[in-house]
Amino acid sequence: MTGPGPAGPSADGLLPDRPLPDRPLPDRPLPDPQLPAAQSLARDASWHRLHPLSPLVRAGRQMMSLLVVLTGIAVLNQHQDGNLVADLVVIVAALVGGFVSWLVTRWQVAGGVLRIDTGLLRRDSRRFPLSQIQAVDVVQTGLARLLGLAELQVRIAGGDSARGGRLACLRLADAEQLRRQLLALAAVPAGGLAPPAPVLTYQPGLSDQAEAAPDPAGRLAARTLFRVRTTRLAVAILLTRPGATALVVAVATWLTAQFSGSARVIAPFLPVAFGVVAALWRRFNGEYGTTVVAAQDGIRLRSGLVQTTAETIRPGRIQAVRLVEPLVWRAFGWCRLEVDVAGSRQRREDRAEGQRLRALIPVGSRSDAGLLLAELLASPPLPSQPAPARARWKAPLSYHFLSWNSDDRYVVAARGRVCRETTWVPLEKVQSIRWVQGPVQRRLGLATVHLDVAGRRVSARIEDRDAAEAHQILAALPDLARAARSRAG
Amino acid sequence: MVDPGGAASLGRKESGPGEPEVSWLRPSPLLLRARRIEAAVVTGPAAVIGGLVGQVVSAAAGIAIAAAVVLAGLLAERFLARRVASWGYAERNDDLMVRRGVLIRRLSVIPYGRMQFIDVTAGPLERALGLATLRMHTAAAASDARIPGLESGAAAALRDQLAALGEAQAAGL
Repeated sequence: MTGPGPAGPSADGLLPDRPLPDRPLPDRPLPDPQLPAAQSLARDASWHRLHPLSPLVRAGRQMMSLLVVLTGIAVLNQHQDGNLVADLVVIVAALVGGFVSWLVTRWQVAGGVLRIDTGLLRRDSRRFPLSQIQAVDVVQTGLARLLGLAELQVRIAGGDSARGGRLACLRLADAEQLRRQLLALAAVPAGGLAPPAPVLTYQPGLSDQAEAAPDPAGRLAARTLFRVRTTRLAVAILLTRPGATALVVAVATWLTAQFSGSARVIAPFLPVAFGVVAALWRRFNGEYGTTVVAAQDGIRLRSGLVQTTAETIRPGRIQAVRLVEPLVWRAFGWCRLEVDVAGSRQRREDRAEGQRLRALIPVGSRSDAGLLLAELLASPPLPSQPAPARARWKAPLSYHFLSWNSDDRYVVAARGRVCRETTWVPLEKVQSIRWVQGPVQRRLGLATVHLDVAGRRVSARIEDRDAAEAHQILAALPDLARAARSRAG
Repeated sequence: MVDPGGAASLGRKESGPGEPEVSWLRPSPLLLRARRIEAAVVTGPAAVIGGLVGQVVSAAAGIAIAAAVVLAGLLAERFLARRVASWGYAERNDDLMVRRGVLIRRLSVIPYGRMQFIDVTAGPLERALGLATLRMHTAAAASDARIPGLESGAAAALRDQLAALGEAQAAGL
């Protein structure tokens, strides 16, 4: 199946969903229907284990640092034999712990529910109704890529990241196959998570169909919507805040070294420099080669240099879309397009980046963003109603960006001081509407309306409107949102 | 489409937003008493400790500090009454409105169908006065709506009523 050439004739503009030759992303093999292990991952109700090598991958990072520390200690205390034994005991204990955790972890897909059981002393059994899946990710760390393994992450709504499911690790082909099957099973009800009852009854014919149908047809229907340019990404990251910090640190180091005439004085800068470089690298590594593909089961998003991530966002699960235009980027006509999906990502390394949303376009031109925006939202409105002139007194720096607009499906609001942020929120996703008026706003007769959506602290903020207009917005939006909800299903 | 032009007639800037026909329900008057007791519980010991610390310098300083703390407590008490009075909630056909705040005024609209779960909590002081706080949670972390100072029977009844309404109108994410 992974032979040369596309799997079928590709019409104009319809690219098969596979990496182009110039892309260093791993060649993802098309799942072979004859592959025995992959065949029935989601079909039979039997229990499965994770891959035997998964403890190694899961502990990879910690294990590396542990090894480095222990080796260092061992080298320093060579004359003391007792320490070496202690080190070995620690390593063996870690390995045994990983093995036991692998031994007691198992998972199954049955009756429309993904179930993951783990834990030796404290059993932990989690059930994820497939109809509530917001997105499914396949993540490969560097070590996992070497071993041909991948981690499958299931995202369920709720800001709490502990509520998602992780299967770490499976064979890459199995993970891809399972992802496709989970999404196919999850797509049974067209609407949201409202009616769980019919979904939970397992329908054997359905997964057959799901297995057979998407492969040839679905792959041909996939269209590449965006692919980030590496040089532009590198330049753009250097032009953001961490990049600017790196520049300042570098200049400060150089100046200090220059004036003092000795290289030793730069030592205090090294930790800072290391942190900055690590932050830049993390971002570059995460966003390298971002590719957005529209496929049958949703928007597929792939990125990563060492650690690759493949996400699938189901249609109708996008909570908000945000267009970010930092000051320097605007000079180049660049922007960043982010989406918010309910259910945060599971990766521990991502904690620092938890506040940032997932970027569909890490950096791209405005036409790229417009194209993708049109794909994500049907004819989204543009923020065309500026704030009243007296808002200048309350928000002198951001006044020129403040504007909003709405139609019967979306609300869009723009704000930001240096960095312009435009947020689109589908009305049917609005969770609550808040009207807020601070003391300065009250004096000026202004008010702000927030539209909260599920997920992290994302809200479209219609800032500094005329108080009467804010009243009107607050009176009208609940009805518009309700109408949009009932239309959506 | 929201029409900003037609809003001029609604210009009730001083009273805050909300349709005229909305009838606001208020928390129990006991809430003010609860807040006063809380303020007193904080102010009293603070005044005593401040006075004792000040006495190390001189007796006059100790008395001055204690008096200042008590004065601050009394000023806060005046503010408390306004803050308590600012709380209000209204049950509309499809959503619940909650308003609060004096300096920063807030008004939240939460559709019944969006409520994920509803909490009724009562601290020791609230329990002693027979009060409870109702909290409504949606899938959005930012939308925090709570109604303090409900009589505990009323809070439980409101919780059940909201839960029933939420179940009837539940919508997917």
